[in-house]
Amino acid sequence: MTESSANKLLNGDACHRTANGRKASKNGFVKNHCLFQQPHKYRRPREKNQNVTHNSSLYKKPFSESFEETPLLVAVLTYMGYGILTIFGYLRDFLRHWNIEKCHVARERDEQKDFVPLYQDFENFYTRNLYMRIRDNWNRPICSVPGAKMDLVERVSHDYNWTFEHTGKVVKDVINMGSYNYLGFAENTGTCADAAIEATQAYGVGVGSTRCEMGNLDIHEEMEQLVARFLGVESSMAFGMGFATNSMNIPALTGKGCLILSDELNHASLVLGARLSASTIRVFKHNNMQSLEKLLRDAIVHGQPRTHRPWKKILIVVEGIYSMEGSIVRLPEIIALKKRYKAYLYLDEAHSIGALGPNGRGVVDYFGLDPKDVDIMMGTFTKSFGAAGGYIGGKKELIDYLRRHSHSALYATSMSPPVAQQIITSMKIIMGEDGTTLGADRLRQLSENTTYFRRKLREMGFIIYGNDDSPVVPMMLYMPAKIGAFGREMLKRNIGTVVVGFPATPIIESRARFCVSAAHTRETLNTALEAISEVGDLLQLKYSRREQPLPSLGWMSEESLLQD
Amino acid sequence: MALGDCWKQLSWFYYQYLLVTALYMLEPWERTVFNSLLISVAAMAVYTGYVFMPQHIMAILHYFEVVQ
Repeated sequence: MTESSANKLLNGDACHRTANGRKASKNGFVKNHCLFQQPHKYRRPREKNQNVTHNSSLYKKPFSESFEETPLLVAVLTYMGYGILTIFGYLRDFLRHWNIEKCHVARERDEQKDFVPLYQDFENFYTRNLYMRIRDNWNRPICSVPGAKMDLVERVSHDYNWTFEHTGKVVKDVINMGSYNYLGFAENTGTCADAAIEATQAYGVGVGSTRCEMGNLDIHEEMEQLVARFLGVESSMAFGMGFATNSMNIPALTGKGCLILSDELNHASLVLGARLSASTIRVFKHNNMQSLEKLLRDAIVHGQPRTHRPWKKILIVVEGIYSMEGSIVRLPEIIALKKRYKAYLYLDEAHSIGALGPNGRGVVDYFGLDPKDVDIMMGTFTKSFGAAGGYIGGKKELIDYLRRHSHSALYATSMSPPVAQQIITSMKIIMGEDGTTLGADRLRQLSENTTYFRRKLREMGFIIYGNDDSPVVPMMLYMPAKIGAFGREMLKRNIGTVVVGFPATPIIESRARFCVSAAHTRETLNTALEAISEVGDLLQLKYSRREQPLPSLGWMSEESLLQD
Repeated sequence: MALGDCWKQLSWFYYQYLLVTALYMLEPWERTVFNSLLISVAAMAVYTGYVFMPQHIMAILHYFEVVQ
């Protein structure tokens, strides 16, 4: 979807060629001395396979991503399914409006019917008529640690998901394929939990102030120095909430007259932060370096919209791993572009810190690059460290500036001490400074699990998006009824999964998202894979049209894959 | 045994039909409405075909001068 339209964009440029082969430059067109040359032949890709890296000299190991294209029949049937649901949605809204059926949605009182409307009825059409019908797949209450296995509270609904009741029973030992528990630190026993208990006994749980007033504890300073050492940057600062880190710090970094170039599929926190900052925002196609380069060149040549003054700064905002696609950012190419065009880079490593790279230091480690090339490294502690909160790392002047000017530092309560202690302990384990090999074992287990899980799902015939090394595995479902059916069937087989539909994904590309964890053993993964295969056959989810390599060599092929 | 297998197979096909047309997400009375509409339209199409097919076939054969 993105790649073929990017190709069409590039081919428009390729048509303006003069006789001697050099591009005629007209007013308003930028000459094409691009760093990353666009493909000149019109190729309609069967799949959006990004295996061909145009600049393979920048990558030390093969970068293989694939986003197989939606089969046409499946797309048509999905639209038909949504059409039928829309028609029945209109019918139900009609019945509700004329009071033939009981209306569970919030409405104004009768005395207020003449006022300006308070509730926007049509905006919630999707929520009322599509989301509510399969709402039992989300917000399931968990009553244990969300580790590799968890316990769920059993709920039942008697009025088609408008209200739920707890039956009083607990579903035990549900395999957890949905939590962001990449290194398995979500546990209530072990060194991390013991250290957190000690911290609670020393400091209490609440801090009772903001960082800049009375809330700056020595445990925060220790944690920030540790984070800076972990990332390989000069200094870092931590905040209580990952979403707030993005949305409150981007306004402190850019303002009016600056340009933000953000990826198409950036997270809501980045989009919110960019909008709050009042900078101009331009969006480039997902992970597409030609699109980014074109935007950069146009921005530098044309300047600000009406005055044509040069931009005060240009900030490229990307994520390490995109959690809905499972794709990894093309960091070497972005750094090459950033250096050439003198822009700044903001890297959001929410999912990739601790999960990628031989030492667990994130995307920068995965590609073998220098952390000093990334101007602002942001990340969260929620995913791989089993805590909560976010951090920003960079040069000392930048972090000192943020300490004084960030909204989060000035107004938000600082991080709770047991959470900070959990971060310190888990980070020391990952770095290997606690004297055991637990960190290295977990990192290796995670990458083995990822490779195994992805390979097995591909072999079974499902359409899996994303890079082969990313622990986030989105599996395509497409049809709206299969979203609900998949979630429920997996729960019947005691596996908890996350299913995602519109508006988090494009309307026909709904998916189930698995998060592989180092806490999963090979047996757990095999159980899960069997159940997924069974449900896939029952629901006819094996859409992939690629030929699978023959599984002839068995143990030998598995070993060669693990050698990486 | 064969009838049991046949019933299972039909039941699986009905389940696939429910999933593809998104009837799986609808309440039972909505499924009844949709199924009856679909069956009545299909029945009307079959009946029209049954009534008019001989005339259409005669017209085609007349056009190709197979029969006068």
